[in-house]
Amino acid sequence: MTAPTTTTGPGGDVTGPHLTDADVVVVGGGPAGSCAALVAARAGLRVVLLERGPFPGSKNMYGGVVYPRILDQLIPQWWTQAPVQRWITRRSTMLLTDTQAMSVDFRSQAWAAAPHNGATAVRPEWDRWLAEEAAAAGAQVVCSTTVTGLLRDGHRIVGVRTDRPDGDLTARVVVACDGVNSFLAKQAGLYEHADAAHYTVGVKETLALPKATIDERFNVRDRDGVDIEILGGTGGVNGGAFLYTNLESVSVGVVLKVPKLAAQQRRPEEIIAALKAHPAITPLVDGGELVEYSAHLIPEAGLAMMPKVVADGMVVAGDAAALCLAAGIWLEGVNFAMASGMYAGESVVEAVRAGDVSETGLAGYRRRLADSFVLRDHRKLRRAPSLVLSDRVQHRYPPMIANTIERMFRVDNPAPKPGLRRILAEERKRAGVRVRDLARDAWDAMRTFG
Amino acid sequence: MIAACLKWSAATGGWSAADQAALELGLQHAERTGTDCVAVTVGPAAAAGALGEALACGASRAVHVVVDGDLPSWDTAVALSAAVAEAITVWCGDYSADRGSGSVPAYLAALRHCEQALGVVEARPGSLPFEVLRRLDGGRRERVSVTGPAVVSVEGAAARLRRASLRAQLADHSARLTTVAGPPADHLDAPVVAYRPRARQLPAPAGAVALDRIGAILHSGTPARRGETVELEPPAAAAAILDALTRWGYRAGGAAPGGATS
Amino acid sequence: MSATGGPRSASTYPSLPFTERMATVEFRVHDRAHIVVDAAVCRDCSVRGCVVACPANLFVPTADGGIVFNYEQCFECGTCYLACDREGAITWSYPEGGHGVVFRHT
Repeated sequence: MTAPTTTTGPGGDVTGPHLTDADVVVVGGGPAGSCAALVAARAGLRVVLLERGPFPGSKNMYGGVVYPRILDQLIPQWWTQAPVQRWITRRSTMLLTDTQAMSVDFRSQAWAAAPHNGATAVRPEWDRWLAEEAAAAGAQVVCSTTVTGLLRDGHRIVGVRTDRPDGDLTARVVVACDGVNSFLAKQAGLYEHADAAHYTVGVKETLALPKATIDERFNVRDRDGVDIEILGGTGGVNGGAFLYTNLESVSVGVVLKVPKLAAQQRRPEEIIAALKAHPAITPLVDGGELVEYSAHLIPEAGLAMMPKVVADGMVVAGDAAALCLAAGIWLEGVNFAMASGMYAGESVVEAVRAGDVSETGLAGYRRRLADSFVLRDHRKLRRAPSLVLSDRVQHRYPPMIANTIERMFRVDNPAPKPGLRRILAEERKRAGVRVRDLARDAWDAMRTFG
Repeated sequence: MIAACLKWSAATGGWSAADQAALELGLQHAERTGTDCVAVTVGPAAAAGALGEALACGASRAVHVVVDGDLPSWDTAVALSAAVAEAITVWCGDYSADRGSGSVPAYLAALRHCEQALGVVEARPGSLPFEVLRRLDGGRRERVSVTGPAVVSVEGAAARLRRASLRAQLADHSARLTTVAGPPADHLDAPVVAYRPRARQLPAPAGAVALDRIGAILHSGTPARRGETVELEPPAAAAAILDALTRWGYRAGGAAPGGATS
Repeated sequence: MSATGGPRSASTYPSLPFTERMATVEFRVHDRAHIVVDAAVCRDCSVRGCVVACPANLFVPTADGGIVFNYEQCFECGTCYLACDREGAITWSYPEGGHGVVFRHT
């Protein structure tokens, strides 16, 4: 792409600081936007952070756990001030069929102490706190303002249009952190196409229970918490389920592949109800009073759907850039949002100081993502989303594994114990899994997770 | 000068719909009468940001009486009345964040010795006198004429607050914001108690034995107080009703009920 | 199948009617609809993915074969336009700033 004539190199910048309303306009006050604004404001740039909700976080929900270690670089001792519900000290991966459940349960008390590992948090609180940190650093946070489009000079992006009266705002760089639907990234032509198969919808219930009841049911004390990620339990729709503890509530929900959901007859809340009725789940959630019902889209396809993240005068971060890791046993998003926001902020500062906010000038963002866990994790786990959401992993392997284990532990006296290899072969056949496919998926899993 | 009194809500980080309507009507009133509109709040330091939004919407000045917690309604009204002393009309939201009775506007009117129109659902403010529509019980409405200095409290549906322009949102409003220290902290610990009707003092029941005394309390054995049907002209009927109420002990004898005739 | 709860709820607690489920969420409703559904396009759609997929159950089939859409309790999630395979059936945008869904406990 040739450099547009209105932008010149370092020293001869005609889009100087006083010709635009702001140096940086960040669209979206989620974790990505607030971290971008925080970094840019600390570097002394004039930053405006636009949020369409009445307060940052008011439009946001998620499926459970924040892994905030990236904040070490932004907010020292963040754990002393962050609005955390519980620190995850128990991590379960559960496999559900209609009547069976199998868990791999891990516990580490080391995670109860700073700097911790994962935490459950309420997003309207967490996001608001991060935005307040950005405001304290000097970013101007304007809420209740929806960005309706990009301002362009040729193909260069020079600001945003908002739905407020007199609502155009020019800036040297736009940081689009406008979430999973990112109309800004789409308007800038950074997404080739939006394929419904790349998205899942997360639907969740927050259920109030007394703290003592939660502590007892989940076998934890104090601020310790539990995160259970579930394969199966989604009523035949490809996806997954989750259950985790807040301080005085538990959150239970499902993640459903959109085209599969639309192609069958059960509604999301019915799928949650069936999950809650599962004998392995009911004792954990029973009696919880619904505090809030919520839903949100998730960009689930990883690298396969990732847009271009840099344009002339714009960078894209967080869910807007599809930076959400849905790799079966690892389900992360807020950390990728915070990190990509931070790297976007650093790159914008670098570009503005150098006087080159073209795609070339902002290329440091792509490089930072590529050199960090953000893209390295995605590249390493690039096969995981399609593998985890595949029909075999979703529908055939869970009963195969559960039935195998059930027969292993079933004492059928006077019959002697059958050999494991024979059970496995029989159950594989019963589940309709071909050896060739099993071998290929196992090889894929080895390459992906190994 | 026109004033709009706003109650900041920590839960929403802003004003209630009723307070937004009050600000909008205050702004309209000031525009139509060619005067200033001052936004006033009694609230914690965090309310300053929301006052900035009131300024962005077009208020000419804002006064922030800083208190660190909840004040009793009377103290809130006293703090407000000092800030709105020069105002001709004071617009308030008919909404109580603590689900109380929403008594601040009435206290404010009492302190200012001025007219009050509370629970207004429709208003077209302009030069005096102007009319407002009040909500009454049972779905009825009352048209009230505001003739002089007044406190008007409005419901949320009375007006929709205009949107501040982005420029105005981004502008620095600190020069037009006056911050005043609120009442001392010893006022702040007023306990929040549920409303209970006042107990009425009754004479001890007469009777030699307990059963008689209980019977006296329960009115058992005494003839039931029967209603009577009279056919009278309205003034005479009113007098008969008042007389009956006095006889039955529901009102002090003879005095005209305060406010009922105004 | 009813829209009010699970078909095999083993819980000792009754399931919640859908209106009460939605009543747990705060919506600041604007008077302009941010999503518009063209019922004419929906009339000859037999898939109706939106009806089952919308987490807020806002798409209601009508007796005459159309779809009625209620924007007031929208989560603004975007599932409907992804689930819909009819060009031009759903015109989707965000509500005016400050309006729409307000999450607090999620």
